[in-house]
Amino acid sequence: MISLRSKKSKEGSLTTHGGGPSPRSLVGLALSLPPLLIVLIFVGLPILIGLTFSLGFTTGPNRVIAIIGQQIHKKNHWWGTLGAYNDVIHDSRFFGDLRLTIFVTVLSTTLVLLLALAIALYQRLIGGRKAAVLVTLSIVPLFVPVVISAWAIHTFYGGDGFMRTFFTHFGINFPTLTSTPSAIVIGTVWTSLPFAILMISSGLQAIPDALIESAKDCGASVFRVIANILIPLAKTPIIIAASFTSIGILGSFTIPLFLGPNQPTMLGVEISNFFGAYNRPQQSLVMAFIVFAIASGIAVLYVRSNIKSAKESGRL
Amino acid sequence: MNKALKSLNLSRIGLNLFIGLLAVFILGPLVWLGVHAFASDWQYPNLYPSGLTMRWWSKVFLDSAFATAIKNSLVISPIVVLISMFICLPAAYAAGRMNFFGRKVFMITLFSANSFPKIGLFAAIATLYYALNLMGTFVGVVIIQLLGTIIYMTWIPAAAFAAVPKNLEEAARDAGASKFTVFRTITLRLAMPGILVAIVMSFLASFDEAQGTYLVGAPGIFTMPTEMYSLVQNYPIQVAAVFSILLAIPSVLLLGLARKHIMGGQLAEGFQLK
Amino acid sequence: MSKEGSAMGLELKGLKKILGGRVIIDDLDLSVNQGEMISLLGPSGCGKTTTLRMIAGFLTVDAGQIFVAGKDVTALGPDKRPSAMVFQNYALWPHMTVAKNVAYPLKIRGLSKEETTQKVEAALALVNLMHHKDSRPGQISGGEQQRVALARALVQEPNILLLDEPLSNLDAKLREKVREDIRQLQRRLGITTVIVTHDQEEALSISDRVAVMNNGRIEQFSTPHELYNAPATEYVATFIGSLNRFEGDLVNGLIQPGKHVTGIRPEDLTLSTQAFEGSHPGVVELIIPRGHFYEVVVKRSDATFRIFASENIPAVGAQVHVGIKKSLRYLNGKLVA
Repeated sequence: MISLRSKKSKEGSLTTHGGGPSPRSLVGLALSLPPLLIVLIFVGLPILIGLTFSLGFTTGPNRVIAIIGQQIHKKNHWWGTLGAYNDVIHDSRFFGDLRLTIFVTVLSTTLVLLLALAIALYQRLIGGRKAAVLVTLSIVPLFVPVVISAWAIHTFYGGDGFMRTFFTHFGINFPTLTSTPSAIVIGTVWTSLPFAILMISSGLQAIPDALIESAKDCGASVFRVIANILIPLAKTPIIIAASFTSIGILGSFTIPLFLGPNQPTMLGVEISNFFGAYNRPQQSLVMAFIVFAIASGIAVLYVRSNIKSAKESGRL
Repeated sequence: MNKALKSLNLSRIGLNLFIGLLAVFILGPLVWLGVHAFASDWQYPNLYPSGLTMRWWSKVFLDSAFATAIKNSLVISPIVVLISMFICLPAAYAAGRMNFFGRKVFMITLFSANSFPKIGLFAAIATLYYALNLMGTFVGVVIIQLLGTIIYMTWIPAAAFAAVPKNLEEAARDAGASKFTVFRTITLRLAMPGILVAIVMSFLASFDEAQGTYLVGAPGIFTMPTEMYSLVQNYPIQVAAVFSILLAIPSVLLLGLARKHIMGGQLAEGFQLK
Repeated sequence: MSKEGSAMGLELKGLKKILGGRVIIDDLDLSVNQGEMISLLGPSGCGKTTTLRMIAGFLTVDAGQIFVAGKDVTALGPDKRPSAMVFQNYALWPHMTVAKNVAYPLKIRGLSKEETTQKVEAALALVNLMHHKDSRPGQISGGEQQRVALARALVQEPNILLLDEPLSNLDAKLREKVREDIRQLQRRLGITTVIVTHDQEEALSISDRVAVMNNGRIEQFSTPHELYNAPATEYVATFIGSLNRFEGDLVNGLIQPGKHVTGIRPEDLTLSTQAFEGSHPGVVELIIPRGHFYEVVVKRSDATFRIFASENIPAVGAQVHVGIKKSLRYLNGKLVA
């Protein structure tokens, strides 16, 4: 893994001789510029410009889109206008979408974490062939492009899909899950499982056997070992998995597009609708920034937990 | 003793049931769709098709729109990966083995750029593209896909470079090798598994990229994934099934090859912020 | 030591263990008195760690029984056994403070907060670590970590204490001190203790008795004195201390071809520049300083000997006379008179 701490000078990789960075340091900085620039120009810049556009700045780079789009609010203060934000907040569609998005994100993330934890714990504590089968199964979705996954799940749970076909033979009328939030949850859990399993499983594998055995030697039952030793020590990978999973689901597009209802839908789909079909790019960006804000909140929690755990183990 | 045996049996049954359910949950949709690619006709509520055929395959290969989409994907993705390698690998090396001013900020910036919901980002990028006249262009699509590869092509090789023990390099220098030779024969060789994983993940990130390409590529450029969006609405399920299998082949092949390294921890190791 | 009618500290009866298709331990018996401190000694692969882990409960037994303080614990898991182990790498939990590490077994037993604090502090005082009770394992030294592990084991008031290679991770100077500390502590508390080690000096210096193991069997289980002076098998003789080993018999002070194996401890050889009764001449080949004594390698007509001497050391190449004070004789690996 990459250590974010500075390498100690005894390794000889960095010694700043009083005053200014070493030449090696400058080379490193230069080498790292290309991707940084790409990101700054094509991610940082659009975000900033998009922000200004959402606030009603319609000149310069925003000129073209301001002409193309409809219901554009132009700025009426020096800082812009809240017109577009007002539109969105008062749009009944938006709140329905927001509720659904948060509901699906929380539910799916919880399910993914529980499933990944169960499988990873079983693998760590008992191991063996069945555990390997479970882990391999969980990784399969990684191999499948999202578009295909969405479509495959659609056909599986749809009106004439496998589930309904199968249960009809038992006289049970299994519901058509496509175009419901349940299908979105199924889809997001399906696609998020591999990363969560990889993270949590590698975190648990890194815990030495001796730490588990010494707990048992002290009298700990399996539950205590899991609750007092394994989960606390794997806290960082678990939080990474939770953060990545929830941020990914928050802004997901393909899965809710294929599997969810038309109204309400997840915000990712709505952003695309507003930008394209409804031709209201400004409001689309407003929604995007609201999703950004929520995602940033999650990312901040993640970074803070990283710093906290680094402090606790004496590394900071 | 009997109670223990009984509970052991119950838990074994429970476990097998869980494995079965997980298999159905994960593999079911894929198998169900896969069979459709060869189904001539499949009426509900039959558990299997009325007959098997390959005609949907010829339909896909003979359709020019599909062929164009396939060609686009196979042309654009390798280009994206090459550009990504050129831009990111030196940075990865620097991040992994040099300690330069602002290194932490650099890594976290790249990390956070990728952790934001993509569709919103693409909407913002589309706004910029309108101004730069990049909507619906080849270059525009390449840039969008490139963005998705950066996180893989920096973090994973950086971890791989960082993991090369310095004393191996020192021993080579001591034996008389120049700095470049050391890099070529020692550092690069030892970091190669990580770099390969990064290349595979980047290729797939580009090949499977749908949202951004959809937003900025349409209606001029369709790749295989974005073709799927319209395909599923306008064609029978069997065609979608065939296309899905085709789209999945590179994924399965490449990830299958790199599987040992991914499950061996290169992927998870690369993302541990310790 | 053992009293009439009281239970043994530890009893292993007919233990057998198969791992990976190989029989690691076969029909092993061991009786340890209550309050005794013994060592399981042997090279890696001899089965000593396997035996320890079976006693602790981390490995199931394929045959045989284990009794701790008279109670049959064979079927119990490690969490239910009245044993406490100090692991080789201490196995302290990094996310808990020293005090919390030591308190963990008490927390499991559901003791009240006051009682827990009292016992934890008593245990930490016993190992002189009260000043670190709020530190994290990552912030204290290896030797201190070991003491925390020890405190955590002792706080459980176990019937038997198990130590897995307790000194192997410590540097040489610390080793001696810790050795003494462990011995004193054990004497004071009177807990039956089993130590696993590959270091014979370590085993001999602190144990009441030592079980020398080879290929899953105990070759000899005796006091250090007896092990050194009357090693029951050739293996024990070569493993404990240094030994000049020759294939042949000792006849008239010379090694001759014969059906026995003869062993002579380096300090049982006498070295002199003058001839004396029973001595035979030889040449000094090599002198190895060993601190407060020297190992002198002398080539005689019959064999080459390694001799310990601390004064009147001859020079290399000098003519010397070597005599044999005492020898051990083995037939088919077993000690014969």
